[in-house]
Amino acid sequence: MMKWIKILPVAVLLLMGVTVVSHAEDKPKVIRYGFNGNGLGRPFTGGVGGVINDKNLLEKEFAKDGIRIEKTFLASTGPGLNEAFASGLLDIAGFGDFPNIVGRAGGLKTRWILVGVRGDNSRIIVHPESNITSVKQLKGLRIGVAKGTWAQLWFAKILVVNGLTEKDVKVLNLKGSDATAAFVAGSIDAVVGGSLSLVDQGLAKILYESNKDPQSLRGRDGLLVTEAFAQKYPDIVKRIVKVNIQAAYWLSQPQNTAEYLRISGKTGGVYKDAKKDYLTHDLKVKWNPRLDKEAIDHYQAKADFCYANGYIRNKLDVEKWADKSFSEAALKELGLENYWK
Amino acid sequence: MKTRKLSLIVLGILLMGNVSLQAEEIPDKEVVDNVSQAEAPAIEQPVSQADLEGVRGELAVLSDKLARQLDKNVAATTRSLKISGSTSSKYSAVQYTNKPGEYKSGFAPSSVSVSFKGNLKKDYDYGRDLNYVAGFSASATSTATSNTVPQDAYIQYSLLPTRDQELPTLTLQFGQQKRLFGLEAASTEEKQPVINGATFAGGSGLNLSPRDIGLQLKGDLFPTVDLGFGYRVPLIEYYLGVYNGAGANLPDTDTSRDILGRIVFNAPVGFYSPYKGLSFGSSFYKPGDVDITNAAGLKGRGSKFRYGQDISYVSAPIGFTAEYAVGRDENFSNSTASAVKTTTQSQGYTLTLFYSFGEQFLPNFKSQSRSDDWWPKTYEPFVRFDRWDPNTSVDNDHTTIVTYGLNVFFAETTKLAINYSLTDKLSTNLKQNDLVVQFQYSF
Repeated sequence: MMKWIKILPVAVLLLMGVTVVSHAEDKPKVIRYGFNGNGLGRPFTGGVGGVINDKNLLEKEFAKDGIRIEKTFLASTGPGLNEAFASGLLDIAGFGDFPNIVGRAGGLKTRWILVGVRGDNSRIIVHPESNITSVKQLKGLRIGVAKGTWAQLWFAKILVVNGLTEKDVKVLNLKGSDATAAFVAGSIDAVVGGSLSLVDQGLAKILYESNKDPQSLRGRDGLLVTEAFAQKYPDIVKRIVKVNIQAAYWLSQPQNTAEYLRISGKTGGVYKDAKKDYLTHDLKVKWNPRLDKEAIDHYQAKADFCYANGYIRNKLDVEKWADKSFSEAALKELGLENYWK
Repeated sequence: MKTRKLSLIVLGILLMGNVSLQAEEIPDKEVVDNVSQAEAPAIEQPVSQADLEGVRGELAVLSDKLARQLDKNVAATTRSLKISGSTSSKYSAVQYTNKPGEYKSGFAPSSVSVSFKGNLKKDYDYGRDLNYVAGFSASATSTATSNTVPQDAYIQYSLLPTRDQELPTLTLQFGQQKRLFGLEAASTEEKQPVINGATFAGGSGLNLSPRDIGLQLKGDLFPTVDLGFGYRVPLIEYYLGVYNGAGANLPDTDTSRDILGRIVFNAPVGFYSPYKGLSFGSSFYKPGDVDITNAAGLKGRGSKFRYGQDISYVSAPIGFTAEYAVGRDENFSNSTASAVKTTTQSQGYTLTLFYSFGEQFLPNFKSQSRSDDWWPKTYEPFVRFDRWDPNTSVDNDHTTIVTYGLNVFFAETTKLAINYSLTDKLSTNLKQNDLVVQFQYSF
C-alpha cells in the first residue's frame, strides 16, 4: 500500500507533464489549404488565393511555428473542394458562392469566415447575326452553361430579373471548349460566360454583361474553414484570415493591378480579356473581405434562391453559418477596421 | 492670443486629418511589408515596334515548328481516337497443403490488352453521340505462341440527350461486348479489389461475364444530382441484352438468342449522406436451349437459367460487397436409356470487405493542378470469402476460397496487388495456398 502511495504522486506528475507537453503542442503540424485549380493543370489560382500563393504569404506567416502549408489546387474547383472537405482532406479553402452554399446546405460542417471577392463578372454571348437584343428574347433558345458553378446561379438570377426561369430556356451543360465548339458550330444560341476572344474574332457579340449590375446579381467567393479546425485552432485561423486580409488589401491598391494580372494570368486566361474586365471594377469594393451585413444578406438571398429553385434541399441560415470573429479581430490587429467601412 | 489659439486649433485639425488620412491609406506597416511590393510594370506602358516584331517572330517560329511536327512526327486519324491499354507482370507461388513437399512458383506470362475508343459523330446540341470501341488482347498460351484476339468491338449510340445530368440516360451498344451480369461484370475497380473474379462467375462456374456478340441497352432513371459535389446517382440503373450465345469471336451456331437483364437500385441521396454508395442489384441470364445427350444415345434440348442478387456499400474509404448467383441446367438424370430430364442447381456467393487508406477513389481530389507527376498514394487491404457449389443436391462438393490482399496505388495507372488465397476444393480434395504478386499498369 505504501508503495502505491509513493508511486501515485509520481504518476500524477508524469500525467500532468504529458498534459502540459500536449498543450504546448496545441498547433497543427500542417495546414491543409484548398484553392480553385485551373485548366492548365498548374498550381496557380486567381484572386486573394493567387496572391497568397504567389507570394508564399502563408509559408512566411507560419515558418516560425514550424507549421507546414499543404496547398491543394483542384481543377474540379468548388465541387472538388467540397468533396475534399467531406472526405476530411482540407482544413480551409476559398471558392465560389454557389458551391459554398450547396456544400453547407448538403451537410458540410464548415464556417464561413471571410469574403473572397465581390462582384465577379460574367456575360452572355450570342451569334453576331442574331436579332436577339435582350435576355427576354432567350426564351425557348438553347443556352450553354457550366452547371454546378457560380455562373449557373448568376444566369438563373439574371433570367428571373428578366421575367424568365431556367425552365423557359433549354439549358445545356457545356463547359469551356465544348461550349465554344458548340456555339461556333451553331448548335447553341448563346453561351453563359462566353469568351471575349470570340467577340474579338467577330464570331460573337455580347448580349449581356454583369459589370453594371448591382452586387446582388454578381458572383462571389467565400473562405470556409472546417468547424473542427476552427474550434481546435482558433488562433491559427485568425492568422490565416489575417494573411487573407493582407492579400485583399494589397489587391485593393490600384498600383498593384499590373502585378496581379501577371499572377492571375498564370491560370491560363486571356490577358487582354482579364485586363478589360478587371479595369471595370472598383478595387476597394471588389476585394472587401468583411463579413458585413451586405455580404451576409447577399449569401442569404442566394441560399434562399437555391432552395426555392431546388438546388439545395435544406434551408440555410447564413447568419448562423457566418463567423465574423476571426475577420473582425484580424482587421483590428492590422489597423484596417475602418478601411472597408 | 486669439490668433495663437486659432493657429493651434487649425494645426490640431490638420494633424488629426493627416493621421486619419494616413490610417485610411496605409493602415499598418505590417500589411504593406508582408505583401512584397515588387516593382510592378505600369499597366498602360506601350510596347515598342521592336517588341512587337519580336513577338511576331516567336509566333512564326512556333507556327513553323508545329506545322513540321504535324507533318513528320504526329500520327493522324480520320476521327477522334483515344488509345489505352493495360498489362500486368505477375509472380505466383502455390503450396498444396495436403500434399507435403509439393510447391510451385514462378513468373507468370503476361497478357496485354489494347483499346481504341473514339467518336464517330458528335451531337453538340444534346450529346447524342455516336462512339466506337475496338480492343484486342494478347496472351501467352501453353505452346508459347501468342494468342491475339479481338475483345470489345462495338458501336455505341446515346438514344437520350446526355448534356443534362438531371435527365435519364439510355445507350445502345451493338457488337462484341461484355455481358453485364452482376457486380463482377458491371463494376469497376472501385468495387473489385481482388485479382481473380468470383469462382461462380468464371469458366469453372456459371461463366457469367465473358464477351458475346449482340445488342445491349444500358440506361438509368430518376437521377439525383448534387451539384455542389459534382455527384450524380440514378435511382435505377438497367441493362438489357440480346446475344448470340456462342461467345466472343465465334459465329452463331443456332437460332436461339441469349437474353440478359439487370436492374440496380441506388440510394437516391446526396454526396454527404451516410447512405451514399448503397446499391441493390438483381440479374438474370437466359441462354438459349442447348443439345443434350447421354451415353445411351438419348438426345434432347436442355434449358439453362442464371439469376443473381447483389448488395454493395462502397463509399470511400470503406467498401462492402456481397453477391449471390444461382444456375439451373437441364440434363439427363443418368446414362441409361430410361433417363429423364432433370435440373442441376448450382450456386455461389462472395463477400468482400475493403478499406482505402488514401484518395484513389475520390475522383475530384485526383484532378489536382500540380507541377509534378503527383498521385494520391493509396493502400487498400481487403478480404474476400468466395464459395461455389456446382450441385446443391450433392454434399461436400463445394469449393471455398478465402483471399486476403493488399492493393497499393502509387501512380495514376499503376497498382501493386498482393493476393494470398486459401483454397479448399472438396470435390477433388485439393487444398492449396496461392500467393500472387502483380503489377498492373495501363496507359
